[in-house]
Amino acid sequence: MRVERDRFLRRNLWWIIPLVLLHLVIVLAGFVAPHDPTAQNREWPYAPPTRLHFVDNSGLHLRPFIYAWVAGGDANDDPDHDSRYREDRTHAYSLRAFIRGDAYSFLGLFETNLHLFGVDDPGKLLLFGTDEFGRDEFSRLLWGGQISIAAGLVAAAVTLVLGSIAGLVAGYFGGWIDETLMGTSELFLSLPWLYFLLGVRAFLPLHVSPARTFLLLVCVIGLIGWASPARILRGVVLSSRTRNYVAAARGFGASNFYILRRHVLPDTSSVLLTQAALLVPRYIAAEVALSFFGLGVNEPTPSWGNMLAALQQYSVLISYGWMLAPALALFITSVMYYLLADALHSRLESR
Amino acid sequence: MKVIVRLSLLVCLLASPCIAGSACFDAPAAEPCSKNEDLQQLPYITGHYGGYLTIGQRAEPKTLNPVTESDSASREIIGRLNADLIEINRSTQKTEPALAKYWKISPDGRTFTLQLRKGVRFSDGHPFDADDVVFSFNLYMDETIDSPQRDLLIIDGKPMTVTKLDPYTVRFTLPHPYAAAERLFDGFPILPKHLLEKAYKDSTFAQAWSLNTPPSQIAGLGPFRLKQSVPGQQIVLERNPYYWKVDRGNRRLPYLDALIFLSVGSEDAQVMRFEAGETDVITRLNPENYSLLAREQSRAGSQLADLGPSLEFNFLVFNLNDVTDKHLDETAAKQSWFSDFQFRQAINAAVDREGIVRLVYGSRGTPLWGNVGPGNKYWVNQQIPHPRCSLDDARQLLKSAGFSWNKSGQLLDKSGRVVDFTIIASTSNAQRMKMAVLLQDDLSHLGMQVHVVPLEFRALIDRVFHTFDYDAAIMGLGGGDADPNPEMNVWMSNGTSHLWNLGEKQPATAWEREIDELMQQQMVTLDYTKRKRLYDRVQQLIAENLPFVFLATPNILAAADARVGNFQPAVLDPYALWNADELFIRSGGTQNAGVR
Amino acid sequence: MSYLFRRLSRAICLLIGVSILCFLFTEMAPGSFFDEMRLNPQVSPETIEHLRAQFGLDQPLAIRYVHWMKSLLRGDLGYSIAYNLPVAPLLWVRSRNTLLLTVTAMFLSWILSIPLGMWAAAQKGSPLDRLITIASSLAIATPEIVIAIALLALAIRWHLTPAGGMASVAFESLSATQKVSDFISHLLLPVLVLILCQSPILIRHIRASGLEVLNSSYIHAARGLGMSKTRLLFRHVLPAAANPAISLLGFSIAGLISGSLLVEVICGWPGLGPLLLEATLSRDLYVVMGGIMFSTVFMIGGNLIADVLLMAFDPRIRTGATHAS
Repeated sequence: MRVERDRFLRRNLWWIIPLVLLHLVIVLAGFVAPHDPTAQNREWPYAPPTRLHFVDNSGLHLRPFIYAWVAGGDANDDPDHDSRYREDRTHAYSLRAFIRGDAYSFLGLFETNLHLFGVDDPGKLLLFGTDEFGRDEFSRLLWGGQISIAAGLVAAAVTLVLGSIAGLVAGYFGGWIDETLMGTSELFLSLPWLYFLLGVRAFLPLHVSPARTFLLLVCVIGLIGWASPARILRGVVLSSRTRNYVAAARGFGASNFYILRRHVLPDTSSVLLTQAALLVPRYIAAEVALSFFGLGVNEPTPSWGNMLAALQQYSVLISYGWMLAPALALFITSVMYYLLADALHSRLESR
Repeated sequence: MKVIVRLSLLVCLLASPCIAGSACFDAPAAEPCSKNEDLQQLPYITGHYGGYLTIGQRAEPKTLNPVTESDSASREIIGRLNADLIEINRSTQKTEPALAKYWKISPDGRTFTLQLRKGVRFSDGHPFDADDVVFSFNLYMDETIDSPQRDLLIIDGKPMTVTKLDPYTVRFTLPHPYAAAERLFDGFPILPKHLLEKAYKDSTFAQAWSLNTPPSQIAGLGPFRLKQSVPGQQIVLERNPYYWKVDRGNRRLPYLDALIFLSVGSEDAQVMRFEAGETDVITRLNPENYSLLAREQSRAGSQLADLGPSLEFNFLVFNLNDVTDKHLDETAAKQSWFSDFQFRQAINAAVDREGIVRLVYGSRGTPLWGNVGPGNKYWVNQQIPHPRCSLDDARQLLKSAGFSWNKSGQLLDKSGRVVDFTIIASTSNAQRMKMAVLLQDDLSHLGMQVHVVPLEFRALIDRVFHTFDYDAAIMGLGGGDADPNPEMNVWMSNGTSHLWNLGEKQPATAWEREIDELMQQQMVTLDYTKRKRLYDRVQQLIAENLPFVFLATPNILAAADARVGNFQPAVLDPYALWNADELFIRSGGTQNAGVR
Repeated sequence: MSYLFRRLSRAICLLIGVSILCFLFTEMAPGSFFDEMRLNPQVSPETIEHLRAQFGLDQPLAIRYVHWMKSLLRGDLGYSIAYNLPVAPLLWVRSRNTLLLTVTAMFLSWILSIPLGMWAAAQKGSPLDRLITIASSLAIATPEIVIAIALLALAIRWHLTPAGGMASVAFESLSATQKVSDFISHLLLPVLVLILCQSPILIRHIRASGLEVLNSSYIHAARGLGMSKTRLLFRHVLPAAANPAISLLGFSIAGLISGSLLVEVICGWPGLGPLLLEATLSRDLYVVMGGIMFSTVFMIGGNLIADVLLMAFDPRIRTGATHAS
């Protein structure tokens, strides 16, 4: 077993490490992010990422430094360069580690202002540029990841738990239980959820705290989405329950619950895992649609969902490429989750 | 594998973009002018015949019935198919004769006698006369049809009356004098009695002239007539051969053979299609798309127009409604802050209007301190002060109003409660949402905890007009006409759009009472200078007492292909197509799906 | 036969349930169609009240539901408040456009996914398998809206396809072959987006279940007996692995009407999606009700087909059904 586990780790290390790193960075968002995600810099809307320099008039420096953006076109008027900003070369800010910056709450436990890296005030390190209010995209990306990934995971868990219970029960027991459950799932799939969500919004008090919004969001997505995993699972269970070993187990007097747990569930594990891998990023993206109708995470709290909403505008998509950062982040996260699902799947299969 | 490759090659071959340019529109030629027609000459207009324009619409038109229409996409098309008695020239913002050659106003301002043009025909050739005018206005005022425009013709609860004096003379009598009454006539197209009378008598008028009606049953006096309607995709208009306007050389307008309205779905789609060369005109752009097109312009060749500030005004409104019988205790408690004049003054001083114009409108906008902006050249009060954003002034005002700050910098009121309220904004307007976020940040510098809650449009309307369950909202009004009269309902204390305090029986404050009197007065004052003085005072009172905290107004931005001649957009709706009869395609007049 | 009868009666119950819940939901959502007029200072609330009464919006919920049900049984789906036209013809034209798009996309997706999924399963670990897995992961990871907008932007920049719509402006005056080519050029982009969104999921599921079956004993036995790989794949593995895929087929059919909303809105395809979305936002009640009923019918049909196919394809279920506990 030890040998198997080591081999597994060695083969898959190339994506396991980034996955763990990604989650670590996001959990420690306050520390890693150089700036407050809600601080607006109104002189720099849609500013491109700060360029890191290593060389200046006095030669090569090991410690990179940056210049601030200032309004106005580039001196050489290169049409491909952003003509709205140019670097202000009068003052250089060195990148420093463990710098004191904006205050934040570390893991909700205590207040601190220590950041992993940054530049002295009034310089701003804008690694991924800024959004329409001049807020640092990189910091928003990290803080937003906390909410988005958590939302995706919890919502997927809710859906899968509900859906697998429903699918297992429906597929295994059949008969009128199956019909009722499948009928209910069809009901859920065909209702106009948009209306329902608008109605829910009407009943909610106007201001719901971000924590409660998040919880509500997750429950709503999870509750609405249980129908399709349930149906898929039901199909698999239907065929699985008729297999020989199930009949044999029943012949030995095994209870339904035992059969479900011991024989049917493993058969469905691959489907479950595939579903899980599909649902997490889908639910993160579902945030965008919900924010659109007032049920997402409210400003100024960032989440990948409400950051992605800006990309719906054609002009933003075309002109400000750095705004694609949350799409890229979502994408990388999803790929890594799939790889995880695949690896787990092959582990389970080989057992 | 090979099969798939071959199949995909076949698909690619078949899919090569078709040659759209070779299609020509067999539009009817303009009828030769005859002596017995009373034509209107536009002495400064010249151009040449041929070609067609394609316009992308961001929403689908719903109907072609001028009496029941209520959305802007339908209005854009209906306006090209029909004509009014008196028109407002969008460039000069003044009224001009249209179907009415000239008119006499009685000294008391209540009676208008209009002389109609003789010899004018509808687009199906049927002659036009006073019967059509009387019929049309009866339709607009009919109580069973419930046209949204009906209320414009009801002044102080009494409808106006229309009478035919002779086949080419009509008399309108208003219940009492109404300033700028002639501006009312723009927006009431004249309908053909011979086509619609039957539907009216059968009570099926509401279904008349829908998108499925065959073109032969629709006729109007506008520059174009309906040729084809494919709902969800396009509506094609062709030249009206009997149109009653001629150009400098006495040639009958319009120059264009056809106008095509495409439903493209969104503003971004409008821009994409324009860039791809599939459409020729965008009637209104937002600032980001305008900058995008401006950047491409050097490679593209298109006319971009920045017409300056619009007539809209965006504002923050506080809920000052009487909520005692609505079980909204929290809101009632917060109203003690909102009704404090110095509180509103402090907020007014803290708003970073320059920031709003720069970040929300890309500097293509104007800050506002009153309800009339510089775009309304005839009515703006230039004397209203424009103080700069000052957080110190705001803090001073809050201090003198009895507010204080606690250790963490939060603002506390007299009884020690943290000042915490929500601002709602509609998700359908991205600009107002951005303003809400900027305001939230500004007010946080004063220690106020402000939450921005985006709501779907109708949910917002429901709260502001019916349930009163909100603290503050960012909304926008205006943009209809330059004249103050259409906005009476906003400023009158018993007005139905008196947003901050709807349904109040009596004016709640002295200044509201004064505004009531002034607005009533200016409504019946016919002399422009006197009216202006009255309305200036109204603007001053509004700016001083801050029922709304005014924010900014966008510029009107429009774009057209380089080939479009006589392109003269204006700040009044419909911005770019108001002179559709004068537009023409410059030399090289054949249409092609030109690449930009 | 009794099975079909049970399914049909269930379908009818479902339709009634959906219609009741729909009506309830529409009542829950705040506001009505005429609220937009409410914002206009020039329209009086009395006019708005009269308009609401004209469309029966002021009557209590139960009465409106009964009226709607009665007219539904007569075949009349009511009137659209926005268009002042009957709902049924409005929906039918748009549904036809949607089906043109989604059926083509579904067909092409399945033709693409089955071989790709099977090959990936059969050659697990090979470069081909890795390429397919990574490509499908990439596609799934990107939100549908980003794929649609990105493809649209590319198509416009490189002038590959028209920027939207179903037909060119001058469609009527084209010759027959030109009409076909014009139609295909407009169809290309939305179909491509749909394929990119749908195939990866299909490929993953087919691959996953293919892998599962490939590892089972009877397949090993057949392989040991010397059966060729291709024959093995398509005659033995595919039918057994088809189980979850068939549920997915049912989903594909169920989603024929409702699944392409986003693509239609972005690519400007004049289908049911944009119509229903706008009707929902503007509270055009009877259009929404009609549209929901229509897509429910499709969904029921799709699930029915899926269940029938499941029984036909996987003989284990058929015999197993008689042992139902």
